[in-house]
Amino acid sequence: MDLFDVSASALEAQRMRMNTVASNMANAQSTRTESGGPYVKKDVSFSSVQINPGSSDGLTGVKVSAVVEDQKPPLVVYDPGHPDADENGNVSMPNINVMEEMVNMMMALRAYEANVKAFSMSKGMYQKALEIGRY
Amino acid sequence: MDKDMSILHRIIQSANIRQKVIASNIANADTPGYKAKEVSFGNILENKIKLLTTDSGHIKNQNQEGISAKITVTNDPSWGDRNNVLLNSEIAKMTENTLTYDAAVKLINSKMKMLKSAMSTR
Repeated sequence: MDLFDVSASALEAQRMRMNTVASNMANAQSTRTESGGPYVKKDVSFSSVQINPGSSDGLTGVKVSAVVEDQKPPLVVYDPGHPDADENGNVSMPNINVMEEMVNMMMALRAYEANVKAFSMSKGMYQKALEIGRY
Repeated sequence: MDKDMSILHRIIQSANIRQKVIASNIANADTPGYKAKEVSFGNILENKIKLLTTDSGHIKNQNQEGISAKITVTNDPSWGDRNNVLLNSEIAKMTENTLTYDAAVKLINSKMKMLKSAMSTR
């Protein structure tokens, strides 16, 4: 059933990506975090992984190798009335582009759908094989 | 069993291997640096069971044809993330592969139906 492991690993990875997108969108205006400073945009980095290490069966799954923080500097906006404004009236806002996040979300969704499709096709194949000789 | 069955058996085997390769490609459609894989098949003659013959009338060993799968990494041009998986064509390939598999299963079933009716008393 290695075939399912491949698709399942991709579903897991895309879900993780969706989680980071959701966090980024939710925190698009968060100026305060536990570690201090504004929220920093997060992103996942994928890497392929051999399902059966050492074999040449070509089964390659995917895993999230790291959740990385974006290195872009925070967006500084002038808003003296803001509780987190500095003495000059500037506030450091998270550098999150909501459009960018939407695109990322759509891509994660499409990739997820493709893998669900692959999963159900593989399942259909095995189900057909179970029907051999039964009629 | 007979020749037809062994051909169908090989179709199912190869479809299974191809399905694995395509599933891997779809899973890695967003992995930076991943290159799409392709599989090609060839015939190999395999001798699984050695039959001993002490008389000329004994059944001789028959070479059974098996399949050999060769997985190659494609070298098509890629986008900025050095990944060259084309998601749509992989899904299309998978659909085609599933249909081939289903057809082979269907043929095995009808073959077995024929054998069964030949064996039944009337």
